[in-house]
Amino acid sequence: MFNLIIFLSLLILGYVFGRMAESRHFKSILNREEQLRDILTFNERTLPPGYEQASGELVGGNVVISIDYFKQISAGLRNLFGGRVSAYETLIERARREAILRMKQEARLKGASKIINVRLETASISKGGQDQIGSVEVYAYGTALIPTP
Amino acid sequence: MEYQNPKIPEGINVSQEHPLKDFFIMLLGAGLIIAGLIFTLTLLAGSLVRYVPFELEQQLAASLEQELVETETVKPGRHQQYLQNLADRLVIAQQLPEAMKITVHYMDGDEVNAFATLGGHIFVYRGLLEKMPNENALAMVLAHEIAHIKHRDPLVATGRGLTVGLALMSLAGIADSALAQQVISQVSLLTTLGFSREMERAADNEALLTLKQHYGHTLAADTVFQIFNDLEDGQGLPAFLSTHPQSTDRIEVIDHFQHRHGSHQGTLTPLPSWFNEP
Repeated sequence: MFNLIIFLSLLILGYVFGRMAESRHFKSILNREEQLRDILTFNERTLPPGYEQASGELVGGNVVISIDYFKQISAGLRNLFGGRVSAYETLIERARREAILRMKQEARLKGASKIINVRLETASISKGGQDQIGSVEVYAYGTALIPTP
Repeated sequence: MEYQNPKIPEGINVSQEHPLKDFFIMLLGAGLIIAGLIFTLTLLAGSLVRYVPFELEQQLAASLEQELVETETVKPGRHQQYLQNLADRLVIAQQLPEAMKITVHYMDGDEVNAFATLGGHIFVYRGLLEKMPNENALAMVLAHEIAHIKHRDPLVATGRGLTVGLALMSLAGIADSALAQQVISQVSLLTTLGFSREMERAADNEALLTLKQHYGHTLAADTVFQIFNDLEDGQGLPAFLSTHPQSTDRIEVIDHFQHRHGSHQGTLTPLPSWFNEP
């Protein structure tokens, strides 16, 4: 009975704080995406026309986001039935967009307006280990093109 | 070439469904599957257990017995002799199969308790004996425990615990998550208990028939439940959480039995005079 109470409180705690953090993060992502809209990102390796003289520099953004207890239980149940793991979808989405935003932020500081050859790397911190906090790392990197004066 | 950064609509990569809805549907599904699984296993355990020979059960119990004798204070002596003697008489009244051998152990402990376990062993605590006003009340306790052994309840309970545990572990193995397992273990806690309550009722009934056969009446059969009832006061667990049916319910059942069988007249057999001496 005692275990059940602990379990339920963790679940509720995870749900409330997880939801709060998530909605706040999404708001902030939308806000900053609007501010950095003018920095264009490309996955091509070739230079866009007009940038032959620009200097290239590596920019990157790295983020680690952890799941909450509720998401963990929810995804565990999803493991039994199969289907879209919606609990993790938001997590990965947040991590990817945040990583790109941090990369763009770095490019902005360097005075660049375009980033080419953008790549995303995803890594799971816990590597599926039991009894570990599941968290995901996303690293976004690319070549910022800084126009030469 | 002209480049643009169009605004991509939200909600492509993320499902818009409320996370709680998804969660509760899955929880309900898992709960139903597990309940069904446990139900099937219990039905199977109850019917298959009859085919396990009692000798095998005794072999299984051999190590368990050793362990209990070592850890608990089992005291051979005249109490033990007396209890064994009474049990032997009740065994005849209850018409146990020849192969089933009942061994009673007297335990020097304050707990108000008695229980039957694998291999025909019955353990009775001093705490319970001290509260017994006459032999009939004690016979009810022993007859109840003997009935458990006759019905093979200890084996069913052990087997069920094992099978259910194993089934859940493999289920959780597929899930590959310690946390899913945690959810499952919480669900199974409430569902397995109901069946042992059925066993308790059956054992009560069998014990009443035994008392009627042996003494010709069932007076004082409810004494032990009155005692439990007094103990339960103040720390009452809700009925669905406790393994045993509520004492008040059991007293009612005994009343019904006495009226149906007209077994409420007779004389009580006293306990030997030395019984409550140390």
